Amino acid sequence: MLTVRGLTKTYATADGGFQALKGIDFDIPQGGFYTLLGESGCGKSTTLRCVAGLEEPDGGSISIGGEVVADPERGVQVPAFERDIGLVFQSYAIWPHMDVFANVAYPLRVRRPRVAAADIRTRVMEALRLVGMEDYAGRQATKLSGGQQQRVAFARALVRRPKLLLLDEPLSNLDAKLREQMRFELQELVARTGVTTLYVTHDQSEALAMSDTVAVMAGGRIVQSGAPRDVYGRPDNRIVANFLGSANFLRGKVVEARDGLATVALDGGASTIDVPSRARLSPGAAVDVIFRPEDVTTRLDPLDGTIECAVERIVFQGGMSEYQLRLGPTLLRTVVHPSVSAQAGDRAWIAIQPERCILFAAN
Amino acid sequence: MAVQADDAAPVVPVARRKRRGQLGLAGTIAVAGAAAAALYLVLAPLLALLATAFRGPSDMLPFESGAHWTFDNLVDVYVNTPLLSNVLPSTAIFVLGSVTVTFFAAFTLAWLVERTDLPWRTAIFTAILFPLLVPGVVMAFAWTLLFAPNAGWINVALRGILGLESPGPINIFSMGGLILCQGVASVPFVFLLLGAAMRTMNPALEEASSASGARPLTTFFRVTLPVLRPGVLAPLILATLVALEQFEMPLIIGFPARINVFSTRLYFDLNPEDELPAYGKAAAVALLFLAAAVLLLIVYNHLIRRAERFVTVTGKGYRPTRYALGKWRLPALLFVGIYLAVAAILPAIVLVWTSFAGGSSEGMSLDAYRTLLADRRFWPAVGNTFLVAGLSAGIITLIGALLAWQILRLRFPGRRLLDVVSFMSIGIPAVITGFAVMVLHLTIPIGLYGTVWILVLAYSYRLAVSTRLSRASLIQIHPELEEASVASGGRWIDTIRRVVLPLLGPSLMASFLLLFIVGFREFTIPMILQSEDNWVLSVIMWKLQADRQTAQAAAVGTLILLFVTPVIFVLRRHLLSRQGES
Repeated sequence: MLTVRGLTKTYATADGGFQALKGIDFDIPQGGFYTLLGESGCGKSTTLRCVAGLEEPDGGSISIGGEVVADPERGVQVPAFERDIGLVFQSYAIWPHMDVFANVAYPLRVRRPRVAAADIRTRVMEALRLVGMEDYAGRQATKLSGGQQQRVAFARALVRRPKLLLLDEPLSNLDAKLREQMRFELQELVARTGVTTLYVTHDQSEALAMSDTVAVMAGGRIVQSGAPRDVYGRPDNRIVANFLGSANFLRGKVVEARDGLATVALDGGASTIDVPSRARLSPGAAVDVIFRPEDVTTRLDPLDGTIECAVERIVFQGGMSEYQLRLGPTLLRTVVHPSVSAQAGDRAWIAIQPERCILFAAN
Repeated sequence: MAVQADDAAPVVPVARRKRRGQLGLAGTIAVAGAAAAALYLVLAPLLALLATAFRGPSDMLPFESGAHWTFDNLVDVYVNTPLLSNVLPSTAIFVLGSVTVTFFAAFTLAWLVERTDLPWRTAIFTAILFPLLVPGVVMAFAWTLLFAPNAGWINVALRGILGLESPGPINIFSMGGLILCQGVASVPFVFLLLGAAMRTMNPALEEASSASGARPLTTFFRVTLPVLRPGVLAPLILATLVALEQFEMPLIIGFPARINVFSTRLYFDLNPEDELPAYGKAAAVALLFLAAAVLLLIVYNHLIRRAERFVTVTGKGYRPTRYALGKWRLPALLFVGIYLAVAAILPAIVLVWTSFAGGSSEGMSLDAYRTLLADRRFWPAVGNTFLVAGLSAGIITLIGALLAWQILRLRFPGRRLLDVVSFMSIGIPAVITGFAVMVLHLTIPIGLYGTVWILVLAYSYRLAVSTRLSRASLIQIHPELEEASVASGGRWIDTIRRVVLPLLGPSLMASFLLLFIVGFREFTIPMILQSEDNWVLSVIMWKLQADRQTAQAAAVGTLILLFVTPVIFVLRRHLLSRQGES
């Protein structure tokens, strides 16, 4: 449905230029939900705006439903208003001088050839029903709450049944509770309409929960893409590992390498652990062992194979506590049930689940 | 861009194609048209003026056959001439004096109305606006009726009370009189600007001073004034620009006292008693004052940029604490009372009275009105006044909004130039605009000179009013509101018509209203460009009073008051409602 190839974009700045996109490639199949995930400035919004036609790429090509809409080398740049898209902004961009009905009817009213008034009415009400806002049709747009404006923005984006739905951080202006609720509603909405969706966010939990495919972006490139479970569980590199959930890094040395498994002696730890490894590592190579806080068991008494640490800080977070543990020069984060009562300065012992660890060659 | 030099080449044509693609044909025409109009309205006349200054002989039009390039005009005007020994010093004294008067009065009034518990504030606010709407020429005429040394009402009254001999004791026809009249006439707009600055000031700044143990007067000098400084200096420069371009007071009050300032000098160069107009010399004189105005403008621009950085206007509804006047209540009311008597109440009374009594004491009659309404010049002048004011206000508002939009939202070469050109119009004295438009249209033969349409063109140079107002509200409109329209399939024209213009609505209304008032009051430009076919009310009134048809002139003034009074209330409601919002 959407094909993006070799997309590049450079912004002119005072000191030459800022290359926002350094060659982006991806496809979204019909009905797919594809998420671009990354920190601000990574190029994810620029990519979406190029797809929408609000920005013009310098190179590469974009085609929507088989139609090439941007290909600067061949001089193709279809203006945004001629692309078959629906777009939801972070700010919702609900027009304050129109009521809810007029906001949603807008895409049909500006369509040429004209759409009959009766059809507009039917389709607007249908779109409003889809988002549960049919009772608010006559309401002034400025008199809506954030979540309601959000729904109106979805209705407006879907009312002309676009081939492609573009969502630019649509949930990030909502408060935490509403965000969770809207996430489910949005998922259901997309599933019901079956529209192909490109989603842009910096929130990893949104990305992991909703997408068929997640693409992690950094520095104007897609650094890894795949099913959420794969990207989370098997990050290709440190950037992804670090960005998707917090990760602990422990330096170590390979003691022995067999196929698919490496025995690593951790710096500052007495014991070794056996970690699955895709790369071919020779004994003596320095490596980083990466594991997530939830893959560590923290105990207050020693047990065979555990590594001794010092409790440096305890951050109570309600349903759980985050322990920050010092092991030599590194600080580790682990998750502990709040009933465990330790204090800063206590000693603790950790057991890492080796099969959940990832090895990267140290640099 | 530098990184990928080989890619840069094909990017350029695509960028052009895209802009046309995004804007569409209608959009391209509208945007380019607005830019062209701005250049034609503001830049072309100035270039014609510049050329005129260097073309001679002086009594010829710059591009008439026989004219040639020369420095004679500059030499004639600037080497050992009355301009330097007489006009320049008078102008400087007049401008500095009147700005001082304006500022003292406006600051005090704004302070009293915005920051103290003065009673009847709303009524006083309304009354202060009075001279803003009444044409300056009407005010000047009314003041001569009050303060003329022989027959002026106030002088007659004072002589009666003090037992003095005629004439006197007050002589309005003097530099002092001129300065006071101009000073008072400029108060309302400075009052509005200062009031706005005082209103948007965060009261927490003053409260923090009080909480630190400072007494009210200390707070005023150590916190309030420094914080307000940019908001005070910018109107000060603006008032100086306005005083520099003043023409009606110097013509009606200064001329009988043989005081020549820059604007009257220019006018008399162009309308000599029994010679040919000296275009070249006039242009040479204009250059100096244009340069002074541009200089002031640069300072002004610098100041308002600083002001924007300085005062953090968050749009939150500040409710500044009001000072209790206490025992100063009576003196404050007395000050306001005297000001309003001189600036509004007495001029209104004397105009109405004179229109019925004809300046003599023979009893009241409607003769003046009968003669006036029978005058074949009267009704066309009424029509012209409203036509020119309305049309030019509409043109400026539309072009200004389009300019502001493209300067903010599009990237194209020449954007800076457009910005400068549209902004420059604040600083160009009206008398120079009138003259420049005259030279331009005497040179290009498109048959507008002498018609009412040339007035529309000349009035329409005040683009800055509209571009500034539109720009301020465009900045408030999130670009995503426009992008949402484009992403919904809206073409440029849909986006402008259904999203941008409705959201700009209030500021477009404000711009139109303001410009209509300016156009309605306009006297300088129609004086310079006048012909039998394009007289407006202010010019007719001047002609009548110059011909000593005092009662008829007063009748014109009274009719203008009748029209203006309801507008004052509309304006007040507008200003107060904006005040409520912000």
